[in-house]
Amino acid sequence: MTRPAEDGTVLEAIRRGDARALEELYRRHSPRLYALLLRMLRETADAEEVLQETFIDAWRRATEYAVSRGSVEAWLITIARSRAIDRIRNRGARLRLVKQSEQLAPPETSAPEPPDVHAQTRLRRAMGSLPAEQRRALELAYWDGMSQSEISRETGDPLGTVKTRVRLGLQRLAELLAG
Amino acid sequence: MTHQEFLDQVDAYALGALEPAEARALEQHLGTEGPHPLCEAALARAHETVATLAADLKPVAPPAHVWEGIARGITRGEEPAPRAPAPQQTPPSSAPAAPRQPPRRRVPAWTYGIAAAAVVTMIVSGVQVRQSWRAAREVSASAAECRRELAEARIDVLRKEDALQLLTEPGTQLVSLKATPVAEGALAQGKGVVLFNPRGRALFLGKSFPAQTTKDYELWLIRDGKAIAARLLSAEADGRIFADVPPEVLKGGRPAQFAVSLERKGGTDVPTTVIFAGTVAPP
Repeated sequence: MTRPAEDGTVLEAIRRGDARALEELYRRHSPRLYALLLRMLRETADAEEVLQETFIDAWRRATEYAVSRGSVEAWLITIARSRAIDRIRNRGARLRLVKQSEQLAPPETSAPEPPDVHAQTRLRRAMGSLPAEQRRALELAYWDGMSQSEISRETGDPLGTVKTRVRLGLQRLAELLAG
Repeated sequence: MTHQEFLDQVDAYALGALEPAEARALEQHLGTEGPHPLCEAALARAHETVATLAADLKPVAPPAHVWEGIARGITRGEEPAPRAPAPQQTPPSSAPAAPRQPPRRRVPAWTYGIAAAAVVTMIVSGVQVRQSWRAAREVSASAAECRRELAEARIDVLRKEDALQLLTEPGTQLVSLKATPVAEGALAQGKGVVLFNPRGRALFLGKSFPAQTTKDYELWLIRDGKAIAARLLSAEADGRIFADVPPEVLKGGRPAQFAVSLERKGGTDVPTTVIFAGTVAPP
C-alpha cells in the first residue's frame, strides 16, 4: 500500500537487530494498526496490548517476512488481526454482539498523519458496489473476527453460501481496488 | 490439499475466517508441499486486499507507554530470530604490542623451502582466485536464469497438475475446439480444448496461438442460443494459453458450446470473429 521499498529497507535493518529500525517501523505503522485494533477489539487496553505483541512479534519474526507474500504493511496487519482474532475468540462474552450504535469510539487523539483520502474514497466506492450480502460477510469477518461458520450462524445463511460470498466478495474487491 | 482447494479458500484464510483446522491445512500446503508460485501469489494478493480494508480508518496515535512496553520487550533478549550468522571477525591488522617478545629460535633450513613453495602457491592461488571470481559471477548469472526457468517450469507443472486433476474428476469432458473457416494463416494453427466439469469448473488450454498486440482473444459460452462472454485470453510468448473459466459464468447451466473469438482490445459484448468452436457433449 505505502512505502514498500522503504519498509523493506527498514525491515532489513530489523533483521540485523537494529532496534531503532523497529522504532521507525512503529512510527510509520502503529497509528493505523492501533485504529484497526481499537475498531476490532473495542477496548483500549486490549488494543494497546495487541499492538505491543504485534511489534514484538514483528521483531522476532522479521526473518520470516517474504516480499513475495505481500507488503510489510500487509504483513503487519496480518499479524495484528491474527492476534486480535485470537483474543476475540478467547473472550467469554463476544463484544462483537454489541450493536453498531453502542461501539466504543476511538479515543480523541490527534491523528499523527492525514488519512489517505484517495485510498478511503476508492475503498468506500468498492465496498459500496459489492452486493449487500457479500459486504456484510466481509465486514463480519474483518471487523468482528468471525469465522465463516460463525457468520453462517449469525446470518442464518448456509455455510456454503457464506463461503462463496467471502470468496467472491474479496476477489471482486481486489479487482475493483486494482482497477 | 490441491492447489485449487487452496485457491478456493485463500481469501477466507487471509481474512482470518477459516476454522483453525482449515487454516492449518492451508499453511501445511504452503509450508510442506513445496513452493507454489500461483498459491503464493494468490495469498499475497488476498493479504494486500485485506490490508486495504483498513484504509478507511482514521489513524490514531497510540499512547507513549505502548512503545515503551515494546522497547522493554525486545531488550529482554527477544532478538530477531533466527538471525543470519555474523561474519567472522578478522583480527585487527595492527595488534597491540606484546609486552615481551618470545625468545627467537633457530629456523631449520628446510622451512625456507616450504616458505618458497607457499609463496608460489599463493601467487598461483591469486590467479585462481581471480578466475574463480569471474567464474562465480558467471555461475551466479546462470543460477538466476535457472531460478527463473525453474519458477516458470513449476508454474507449468502446477498448471498441468491442475488440468490433470480436473480431467480425472468424475463428469469432466474434454471439449475440442476446431478452427472455423474464418481462422486463416497462423490463426488456424492454434489448438484449443476446454476441460469442462458440469459441477462448475472449466479450464481452457490452448497452444500455438499467435500473440496479439492490437486485439484480444475472448472465450465464450454458448447457452440457450446466446453467447456469454467468459473471459479474455492472453497468449504467452510461446503461444500457449491456460485460463480458468470464472465459476460464476458456469452457474447458469450446461453450455452447448465453447468458442474463441478475436476481438478488439478489451473484448466485446457479442462475438464478432469466431475462430474456434467446440460442442459440449450432452449429459
